[in-house]
Amino acid sequence: MQLSTGLKRYCSAWAFTVLGVLLTGCGGDDSKSADDTRGFARQSAFPSTYEVKETKPVLIQSATILTGTGERLEDTDLLLKDGKIARLGKDLKASEDTLVVVAEGKWVTPGIIDVHSHLGDYPAPAIESSQDGNEMTAPNTAQVWAEHSVWTQDPQFSLALAGGVTTLQILPGSANLFGGRGVTLKNVPGRRVQDMKFPGAPYGLKMACGENPKRVYGGKGQLPSTRMGNVAGYREAWIAAAAYKKKWEEYRENGGDAPERDLQLETLAGVLSGEILVHNHCYRGEEMAIMMDVASEFDFQISTFHHAVEAYKVADLLAENNVCAAMWADWWGFKHEAFDMTEANIAIVDQAGACAMIHSDSAIGIQHLNEETAKAMAAGRRAGFDIQPEHAVQWMTLNPAKALGIEEMTGTLEKGKMGDVVVWSGDPFSVYSKAEKVFIDGELMFDRDDPSRQPRSDFELGILDAEGERL
Amino acid sequence: MILINRKSDNQLRALVQCSRLLLQRLSTAFVLGLMMTTSAAAETVLIKGGKVMTLGEAGTLARADILVRDDRIVNVAADLSDSPVDRTIDASGKLVTPGLWAPITELGLIEIGAAASTNDAAVMDEHIGAAFDPVPAFNPRSTLIPFNRAGGITRAIVMPASEDKIFAGKGFAINLSGSFDSVVKPSLAQRIYLGEYGAELAGGSRANAYAQVKAALTQAREYADNKAAIRRGDWRTLDYSLEDLAALQPIISGEQPVLIRADRASDILQVLELADTFRLNVIIEGAAEGWMVAEQLAAAGVPVVLDPLRNSPDAFERLGARLENPALLQKAGVTILIGSPGYAGTHNSYLSRQGAGNAVAYGLPYDEALKAVSVNIARAFGFDGGVIAPGAVADIVIWSGDPLEVTSHPEVVLIDGATQSLVTRSTRLRDRYLHPKPGHEHGYSY
Repeated sequence: MQLSTGLKRYCSAWAFTVLGVLLTGCGGDDSKSADDTRGFARQSAFPSTYEVKETKPVLIQSATILTGTGERLEDTDLLLKDGKIARLGKDLKASEDTLVVVAEGKWVTPGIIDVHSHLGDYPAPAIESSQDGNEMTAPNTAQVWAEHSVWTQDPQFSLALAGGVTTLQILPGSANLFGGRGVTLKNVPGRRVQDMKFPGAPYGLKMACGENPKRVYGGKGQLPSTRMGNVAGYREAWIAAAAYKKKWEEYRENGGDAPERDLQLETLAGVLSGEILVHNHCYRGEEMAIMMDVASEFDFQISTFHHAVEAYKVADLLAENNVCAAMWADWWGFKHEAFDMTEANIAIVDQAGACAMIHSDSAIGIQHLNEETAKAMAAGRRAGFDIQPEHAVQWMTLNPAKALGIEEMTGTLEKGKMGDVVVWSGDPFSVYSKAEKVFIDGELMFDRDDPSRQPRSDFELGILDAEGERL
Repeated sequence: MILINRKSDNQLRALVQCSRLLLQRLSTAFVLGLMMTTSAAAETVLIKGGKVMTLGEAGTLARADILVRDDRIVNVAADLSDSPVDRTIDASGKLVTPGLWAPITELGLIEIGAAASTNDAAVMDEHIGAAFDPVPAFNPRSTLIPFNRAGGITRAIVMPASEDKIFAGKGFAINLSGSFDSVVKPSLAQRIYLGEYGAELAGGSRANAYAQVKAALTQAREYADNKAAIRRGDWRTLDYSLEDLAALQPIISGEQPVLIRADRASDILQVLELADTFRLNVIIEGAAEGWMVAEQLAAAGVPVVLDPLRNSPDAFERLGARLENPALLQKAGVTILIGSPGYAGTHNSYLSRQGAGNAVAYGLPYDEALKAVSVNIARAFGFDGGVIAPGAVADIVIWSGDPLEVTSHPEVVLIDGATQSLVTRSTRLRDRYLHPKPGHEHGYSY
């Protein structure tokens, strides 16, 4: 598999990320052998074949730019070159082959990142035969990988793109204590899921607290049927994973007969070795506190609590433990653990110094994450916090990038980062604004004014009218 | 911030007014258990100097006063400052609209979705269908009511759901005052499921659901024409209980609206045929592919309840779902009603504003979007509310900004002329944990 130069750069950049994870391959055959014997993540088993196509330069002129680094730049140009952010400034010049976007009165943000999606695994139409997002057959299914369910022709990917989403993590569902591995995708059309895989992004492990696992398995008369049963299930699994990890490490150090591979333990050992990030569905404050203790007991780090409806109750603990929280703006009441909602949740977590972000868990919500962020920002202001758009934008760009371990590559408009950019018709925090142009790695992936730059999945062709497209 | 000036605080007068109101309600409405006084006694209120979107004949008034007496709007005019009033609410620089309506909710019938004991909206019982009346289960003290009121909803249609019958039962109208007499009108509308869900409930085929509706309506007619004999037992065996057939009478007489769920264009056309055959006063719920048959809907004069955010082809019956649906329907002359986004459901009924805002972004004229969350809903269900006009019920919201913007919120909400609390469980939790810190003191705050 030929790696583009861009990809190679991402790979080397990745090696220096805060996680300090040993890179386990970005799809090149040459890196495979060494990494596969050292890592538990098996990054190269289903390698990313995502390619940054040769892109011509892009100059976005005279926009209001929310950089994602906390800055708001008025009447500023943004230049993308070789698929990357090249420059921000006034009156930038560009070569003749440049795609110029006149953006006076328009706003520009980094591409939106959704840390919690099931697109492709719960595709549209949602008929029984395509419900591939939750392996609800055992409390621990850490061996399954969400990417193996992704239907790349899910028409919801392009709807999310039209909402400015450039990157998304596809997670297994929440029926299990350990649901399996999530995968981070670039929101581009692909025949294979490998064509969409975000190069170098670490894997995520989906875990779930609370009502779901105990309901699903308690209902079958098996463990867990209680929250304490949930925690016992986590701890038993981590004990097994620690032993598995030790066995492999001893083998790698001393040689001898290779231990037998175990897909389930491999994923958990990947968490213990820091290669795989924990994404933990967890609503309640006290449960999040318990989970941070579990992580401490077994010496791993939780990246992010998802659906963290009560994150505001433990925002200080989240900050102290360097754990992110992914939240909705206002969902509540669909179950008891979602009853204590406040619309200021994201703002309170943010102001307490923790890493706060919006997330969707919804094929509709993912299309409006700018509006969801706007609601959270407005609620924060009503709570008395001074929160400006240049700060709130991070809840949908930089912070989800951090949660996914890709913030060195995307999430802000900084020189050298991926050219993942949205041009909005106006203030992105207005309900009336629309993503007009969406660039991924500098490539124009969506243009509201040009139907030929609006991707169509196979499903959409001839589905309403044999000679037409869906819409 | 809005300043509320209490010019006079005549408690005696307030008490008298309160008792009179209660008496009125006792005589006109039915009583739900123990009566309690409403949260604030009605009085004379002047809302001063706001930009008033009347949604009525007067259109939008750049700067106007609204005079409210008891539960009604007395007058709307440029300057009413000479009127003697109990209170003045300064709305200058603010937007003022009628209180918003929610067209389909389970408010007061549901507290926590996944907690069965808190759900009274749907039943699974062979004997209950069209006659199911959920009013006795209605809880005006549900936490959902202050929460949605704080979002600008002042009135709602509460509809039962069904998990085993295509006739769900009778809906009713409420105001969101939270008072024990807040059911405005019981037995307001019937709900029927056709389309995919109707097919599922009717043994697997849309055609069977349709046949069941036709059979029930036909037998309801038979019942109407032969009531005495049927009640005596001197008649052939009918498929539906007498209670159910009785419940269908106001449907076949056209007195009561009937909400019918249908998304696919061909299903919508079937509903129109049904409405025509039985002269039903139909409101279509869903209508994801409504834009494909907009002209037929307009010609039939059938209103539709829409979720403007629903654009995913998440079912084969919604392959044509799109964000332009509200705009295309309205343009064709269809009356549109906007409800909460499906994913937010009843708990966040007020997010119909966000849906309406998105509909504007995709071509719906702004005023029409506002009407779709207020007056159109009132009218479709047979009420004269949803407007700011002399004689109209005094449900009024003063907004911090554009009511369709997700960043705006209500600053003052009046229901029946009485100012409502905007405190909710969510704001209480917010204030308790604004600056979370270790220790047990949070247990003593508030």
